[in-house]
Amino acid sequence: MDRTAIMKKPLIYGGLAAALLAVPLLTNGYTQYVVNLVTVYVVLGVGLNILLGYAGQFAFANAAFMGIGAYITAILSSQLGLPFWVCIPAAGVVTALIGTACAVPAMRMASIYLALVTFAFAELMVWVFINWKGVTNGSNGIGVSAPDLFGYVFRGDQRLYYLLLPCCLTMLWLASRILKSYIGRSFVIIRESEIVARCNGIDVSRTKMIAFGLSAFFGGVGGALFAYTVGLVLPQSFGLFQLVIHIAIVVLGGMASLAGAIIGALLLTTLPEFLRDFQSLQEVMFGTALVIVAIFMPRGIAGALTRFGILPREMLVRGIVRERRPVATPGRDQDLEPIGVGVTHD
Amino acid sequence: MGFMTLLTAGLAHGGLYALVALGLVLIYKTQGIVNWAHGELLMVGAFSGYTAFVLVGLPYPLAFLIAVLAGALLGAVMERVAFRGIVHEHHATLALVAIGFSVIIKGLARIPFGADVYTLPPAVDAGPLRFAGAIVTAQSVLTITISVGIALMLLAIFRYTRTGRQMQATQQNLNGARIVGVNTGRIFSITWALAAAVGAVAGLLAGPTSLLYPDMGSEFLLKGFAAAVLGGFYSVTGAIVGGLLVGVIEMLIGGYISTAFQQVSPFLIIIIVLFVRPHGLFGRRPVERV
Repeated sequence: MDRTAIMKKPLIYGGLAAALLAVPLLTNGYTQYVVNLVTVYVVLGVGLNILLGYAGQFAFANAAFMGIGAYITAILSSQLGLPFWVCIPAAGVVTALIGTACAVPAMRMASIYLALVTFAFAELMVWVFINWKGVTNGSNGIGVSAPDLFGYVFRGDQRLYYLLLPCCLTMLWLASRILKSYIGRSFVIIRESEIVARCNGIDVSRTKMIAFGLSAFFGGVGGALFAYTVGLVLPQSFGLFQLVIHIAIVVLGGMASLAGAIIGALLLTTLPEFLRDFQSLQEVMFGTALVIVAIFMPRGIAGALTRFGILPREMLVRGIVRERRPVATPGRDQDLEPIGVGVTHD
Repeated sequence: MGFMTLLTAGLAHGGLYALVALGLVLIYKTQGIVNWAHGELLMVGAFSGYTAFVLVGLPYPLAFLIAVLAGALLGAVMERVAFRGIVHEHHATLALVAIGFSVIIKGLARIPFGADVYTLPPAVDAGPLRFAGAIVTAQSVLTITISVGIALMLLAIFRYTRTGRQMQATQQNLNGARIVGVNTGRIFSITWALAAAVGAVAGLLAGPTSLLYPDMGSEFLLKGFAAAVLGGFYSVTGAIVGGLLVGVIEMLIGGYISTAFQQVSPFLIIIIVLFVRPHGLFGRRPVERV
């Protein structure tokens, strides 16, 4: 990094922060609600991307993690009257513990079997939300009271934004720090080859547990923010469609890319709103977009932007990164990087 | 309800799940793709049959044929247009493409059929039969017969026809099959067409017992997954046995425990099977190669 880049950096971040803070000046209640949803889905998208994109674990449980987080928040805030700074971390921590338990099947099975078992777990959780009426109030759902901080109530979408934005940015910062650490790099090695990871002295089981727990933590916090945003937690919100949106955010935005999660969340939250009144048209467009992007941009939108040099390449190891050299093995292992030189992926 | 009645009803439902599982297994064996849009192929079969039989008024056998061809064509087109080019991509990408197709097909089905529900009359119009103390509808007998018949037919195709043997070769070793001159592209198309046709048959047979609506496929897909997992995801026999078992287990749980548990029985089956015996009843333990 040269000197001008160092000089420029605070300027860019400052401008970005000012722009983000000024968003409510330009919105009305409805558009602000959509913006709030974007911040929520950024957190959720990052959560799934940690597991699916970085650690390569093909797990479908994140809608369930989100649901658990949302229910914990709803119950703690409206029935016990706890403040948000207890509810949100509580939702994250409890969900992370459940997520760590979900790593147990991942030790034994891979790829589609893991997908199926986590998918079954997610559907089972929806059933629990509907049928455990004493706690979840069944299909009627639970209302969530507006969060407040020392008497300042974040009521209304514009005020709520100033709670969601710091949470979202904190989670993003956390994700980027963790992914650049030893743990984040071990995720990538596990994705590329568990055997290579073992040879490098990485405890695969432990790392998988951390990946699941971490992903679930983001899912739980995302669920908590979702609960505050929508104000009413319903079991149907966490079904198959929620899952599809999460996967779409990660795959369309770009696997193993934080920018990808942001792009994906932005697109998949705002675009469907334009076609709200036409369900069939919305479905056809959404489905076509999924198919076309997946076929022509297998690395997602962030991957395509990186290739054209619009987005900088995300690096997990700072320092000299050698040019990519073509790897001879065909098929799935094509993007195997020389590990230890600098793990980059776009 | 008596045990025998539950058992035969379970077998009839199980026959449908077996057909769905059969399609999933065929595609997975050949290309390693889990077809998340398989439920929609079933829905397309059911609605094509409904259009030809009820709306146009064609005789039932002709309507049946049209529905099967429509399903097969759709399956083959999906494979050729999308999956063949990206078969080496990450499982998540493949799943997303399949889900994309599923959403498109559902959206397209909503344009003519809207949010209403339809019923497809049974293939044979006969009263319930009594068999060993159980009350059995003629449709159940037909469903069980056709499912087992299709499974036997597929096994015969694999064993005795040239195309069937080429399909087996492609499943066992793609490059090996190419080297000995198998047109693997053609095999992929045939596999998808066959799998989709079997799915469409399931849709036609499900018509009288289940209602027809654009979202009808997801329930069958879940149970097909449970059946395929139980059977090991690699075996045609496993898919049939798994399907019948899932149907019977579901009915017995519904009859003796509670209907609330009946809804989650496929998920519980998936979770329990994958924990206890991940390779299913008929699969082999996978070997990891370095």
